[in-house]
This record gives sequence, C-alpha cells and structure tokens, in this order.
Amino acid sequence: MSLTATQENIRPPKPRPSLVVPIGLVAFLAISWVATSEQFGIGLDPGKILEDIANGVGILGDLLRPNWAFLPKTVEPMLETFRMAVLASAIGCSIALPVAFLASRVTAPNLLTYVADRSVLSVVRAIPDFLYALIFVSAVGIGPLPGIAALILFNIGVVAKLQSETVDGIDVGPIEASRAAGGNRLQTVRWAVLPQVLPNYVAYSLYTFELNIRASTVLGIVGAGGIGRILLREYKFFNFSNVSVIVVELFVFVFVIELISITLRRRLV
Amino acid sequence: MIRFENASITYPGGVQALKNLTLEIPDGQLMIIVGLSGAGKSTLIRAINGLVPPTQGDVIVDGVSVRKASTKQLRQLRSRIGMIFQTFNLVKRTTVLNNVLMGRLHNTGTFRSLVGWYKPKDVEIAMRALERVGIVEKAYVRASNLSGGQAQRVGIARALAQDPGIILADEPVASLDPPTGHLVMRDLQRINRELGITTVVNLHFLDLAKVYGERIVGLRAGELVYDGTGAEANEDVFRDIYGRSLTADDVLGEATAPAAVAL
Repeated sequence: MSLTATQENIRPPKPRPSLVVPIGLVAFLAISWVATSEQFGIGLDPGKILEDIANGVGILGDLLRPNWAFLPKTVEPMLETFRMAVLASAIGCSIALPVAFLASRVTAPNLLTYVADRSVLSVVRAIPDFLYALIFVSAVGIGPLPGIAALILFNIGVVAKLQSETVDGIDVGPIEASRAAGGNRLQTVRWAVLPQVLPNYVAYSLYTFELNIRASTVLGIVGAGGIGRILLREYKFFNFSNVSVIVVELFVFVFVIELISITLRRRLV
Repeated sequence: MIRFENASITYPGGVQALKNLTLEIPDGQLMIIVGLSGAGKSTLIRAINGLVPPTQGDVIVDGVSVRKASTKQLRQLRSRIGMIFQTFNLVKRTTVLNNVLMGRLHNTGTFRSLVGWYKPKDVEIAMRALERVGIVEKAYVRASNLSGGQAQRVGIARALAQDPGIILADEPVASLDPPTGHLVMRDLQRINRELGITTVVNLHFLDLAKVYGERIVGLRAGELVYDGTGAEANEDVFRDIYGRSLTADDVLGEATAPAAVAL
C-alpha cells in the first residue's frame, strides 16, 4: 500500500543551496581586512608585536616568580571581593529568575510584558559593568557598595537573558498538563517549568559569580572596592611579582567555583 | 453531563477542526472517539476543558459554558476534569509524587504551592491515587526513570488526584507497546466503573475501541459520522469513519485483552 495514494510519487528537484553562508563568510573576511588596514581601521601590524615582545619578557619573568610574602596583604581585599561577589550574585540572580520568566514567550502572561521586559534587558546588558560602577561611585562614593550595585545590574542582565532563552526551549507538555489540572500561572511556572530549567539556572548563577570575582578587578580601578584596588596599585609600581600572587589567587577562585558548578549540576540534572 | 451545542472550532490559521458538532455525553459513560489523524479528535477533547474553546456554538460541562467562562471559572471547571496525554506530559526532572501533586494545585493556595508546602491531606490523596494505579512504590523516584507504561500510570494518577468527575484521555496508548496499551485501557475502564467517572478517550486502534468502548463516536474531517455502541461497530462502520479500507495498522493487536474481539 502506498502511503501517499493521493499524491504523485515524484522526487522533487534538489533545492538550490543557500547563499547566506558563503556571502556571510566573504563579508566577514572583507570587514576584517578593512578593520585591520592602516587607512580605515586599527592598523594591525603583526611585525610590531614581535618587535615589542622583548619588552614583555622582563614582566613575564616577574609574573612567573610570585612574591608569596605579599600574600597576607591580599587576604582582606580578596575577602572583600568575595563578599561583594556573593552578595551581588545572590541578589542579582534572585531578581533575574522572575525577570527571565517574564522575558520568555513560553511563560510571559502577554506579548506586551514580553516585549517590554526584553527591551529593558537589552538596555541593561548594553551598559558595561565598568560604566555602572562609575555612575554608582559618583552617586554614593568610593567603597564596596557601588561595586555591588554595579554587579547586581550586570548579573540581572546576563542571567535573565540566558535563563529566558532556556525557558523558551523547554518541553511544553507539562505546562498543558498543569493548566488542564486547574493550576494558575504561578503554580504552572513553579511546578511545570522551574524543575526543567533549575540545573541551567544554578549553572548560570555560578558562572556570574565567577564573572563577578573577575569583574571586581576592573571595578577596583574606579574605586568600587575589592582586590582591584590593590591590583591596580601594584601594577602602577611595576611590582609584577605581587600582581602575580593576585592572578594566582583569582585563578584558584575561578577553578574552585568551576568544580562546585560541575558537582551541583550533576546532582540536579 | 457534557453537551456540545452546534460547536465549531476554527484555529487562527483558518483550519476548521470541528464542524457544527452536537453531542451529549451522560455522566458515568466511557465514550471512545475514533477517526484518522486530523479528524478533530484532540480538538474535541480539548474543547471540553477549554484548552481549545469553541469559536462558534458552545460546550456545556456540568452546566458551565466553556465559551463564556471567565479565567477563574475555567480553572474551577478544569480542576474537576482530569486529563491524560499521549506523551504523558510528566515533568521528568522531579519526583513521581510531585507530578501527581500537580493534580492538587487547584486546592492549594499560590503561596503554599510556590514553596511546595502541600497539605498532608493532599499528599494523602496523591498517594491513594498512586496506589489505585499500582505504582505507589515509585512515589519518590524521578519521573525520568520510569518506563512508558509506568509513566502513563503516573499520568492517570495525576488525573485521579484531582478527584475529577470527568477524565479526558488523548491517545493514551499510542506511545505504548500492545500489552501495556491494554493494561492502561483496563485501568481506565476500571476507574470508570468503580468511581463512576465520565471518561472520554481518543483512540485510533479500532480493536481497542471496540473492546473498551461502551459508546463509540466517529469523526471525519471535524464532523460526527458515527455514534453507537462498541458492539454495533463493525468493519463497515469503521471503513465509513476512515473513508478507506482498513489495514493492519488500524489495530493494536496482541489479544491479551480479556475479551479481545477480531474485527
């Protein structure tokens, strides 16, 4: 028996290959070339890197010899960075979760909420954390508080975007089941959607925590507290052996967070 | 009682899934809807709990108009109607018990349900529902670890936990192997008989429809083309519903049913 008894069983002609990829590739190469050229772009000259590399060797030598005697002096600012990151991640990620549900077509109550939320989120993301820190420092003065405020906004932007896109991709069957059982919108989000996206949420939150630890080095430069202030000072005095200690500490931090992230995700998935 | 009054459903894309349907399903009946894919079976079932409300005419369920019901009334109506799905629609990343407790959401305040603080009475109802389908030992197992047959029984338990007056089953055995399909159909039959729950089931396996259908309704292109008992429905009737001759694909086979009847 033919499955398509009513249709003629003829092979269709092969569709023409899409030109999007080759055209995109050519455009990308052309733009890259223009951007690196001397007249229009940044004037990238690979030879110059090789010429100047000798200057870097001395710094590299210092970086490879961390001055461990400096370690005790980094403990207090490092703890401040840690506390800033914990607080900013906790607050930012908590706010990001409901914001993410409103920014997904699957869970947003209506189109207006969805569009409004997504627009606000793109603005929040478009402003760099550095600029947030500058604004908050000028508003509330030097210290960890403007740093935390800047990181919170940064975290909301990142987590809400990633999380809302994860929600977009879930299995909608359980949502129908919850609605059919008489569950209201919040109950449906809690029991049909949240269990499906929780592992991703934990991973995104830990990732932003890691980003916060690193971002605090930048924030310190504008006076927003943390290890960044010490890092900048040592860098200015060319104490690269001291800078090295801080870099190693940051590396250990990020590595430990990664380990925790892997363990937690394995438990939750 | 469920009453379709000249109900038509046209989807936003312009597809008319249900045409001028008039149908009455008395309390306690086990009714089976048969028809080809796209005949409007799923739409008919979803019209009863308002997941797809009628665009013309009306569906009256226990005196409530599905078309005119407010959001709140619709939720109240749905709380009395359990639903079972072809692909089970369980939340795989949580426990079986949490899935069944979804059937108690209508009786749980929003705050309580957000923190998962179900009343002990509701947990008891969920456990009883799992006992009734013989799968209570899996209560704390993650739903992702269930076989297809087990998952569908959890789906039935979730519907039962609502303490419903009506159960809707949308192709409940289409994702299952034949023996398991019969087990699930027998569960539904038992629930219908023991608890007196009105049960509406979509099937495309004609032998199953004949064995379990107290009443069979045939749909073709959104129109009612047959309404009679399972005993009356013979091969000619099914051929008329399908608009073509029958094939081996139209029966589930594997006659493990108590009273399997060849077509």
